[in-house]
Amino acid sequence: MRESTLQLINYIMILALLVTLALHLAMQAFLGVTGYAQALSYDTALARYREPLSVSLLTILLIAATYHGLFGLRNILLEFRTGPRWDTFVTSATLGLAVVMLGWGLWTIVAAFGGF
Amino acid sequence: MRDAIVSIKKAKAPKKDFITTQVAWGFRKPMNLEKLALLAQRVSGVGLLVYLFFHIFVTGSITSGEQAWEGLMGMLFNPLAHIGELLVVVGATFHGINGIRVMLLELTSLVGHPIRPDYPYKTQMLGKGQQSILYTAMIMAGLSTIAGIFFLFMGAGA
Repeated sequence: MRESTLQLINYIMILALLVTLALHLAMQAFLGVTGYAQALSYDTALARYREPLSVSLLTILLIAATYHGLFGLRNILLEFRTGPRWDTFVTSATLGLAVVMLGWGLWTIVAAFGGF
Repeated sequence: MRDAIVSIKKAKAPKKDFITTQVAWGFRKPMNLEKLALLAQRVSGVGLLVYLFFHIFVTGSITSGEQAWEGLMGMLFNPLAHIGELLVVVGATFHGINGIRVMLLELTSLVGHPIRPDYPYKTQMLGKGQQSILYTAMIMAGLSTIAGIFFLFMGAGA
């Protein structure tokens, strides 16, 4: 894929991330909860994995954060050194990390939503 | 004849690791605000990615049942972990607002006008619009620190 296309996707992910992360942080502090301790309780956390709107928010946040984070890491590493072998290694490593992070995160969301 | 042979060794440049090079670049003269902002953006970005990696696996424990979840949360509900979470909130706030500035720099005319490179050279600084957003990022990061302390350490609303 062309670098310009990857960057364009990155811009879209950034916009999604700004909205979903702000909501996610608010939900840990004051939105729908009385405090941080309550936000971390098992019942509250599980209820968020069972509610479709909250599940959609978590899914978008997971995908956007993983893409943006790993794309940024790839850019930093590609600035560090150049060469086709290094490029291939960095791209493969970030793709591998993306598979692990998205795989585990999405599995958690699907399993919790479906009642394990 | 033998004495005339001179061994030539390849001069070795001192090796510096990636992190040292990056930090040294940020503080090398001429120093300016955008270099430090870029350094802070990268440090906070990598920090947030490391946090995200562990966060995904920690929250995955919800599928193991209430006992596993409560055990893990009990382990993580302490002042040291709260300091880490505070750093995440501050890092995310700064990274987000400074990131908006960088996006505007790339996509709009907020970059400011270039100056002629006459001697003695002056460092090209950000335009006023850009500087304002950067200062906003710093102020918001400061405010999120206060809010973080309020919610994490003072048990606001609990």
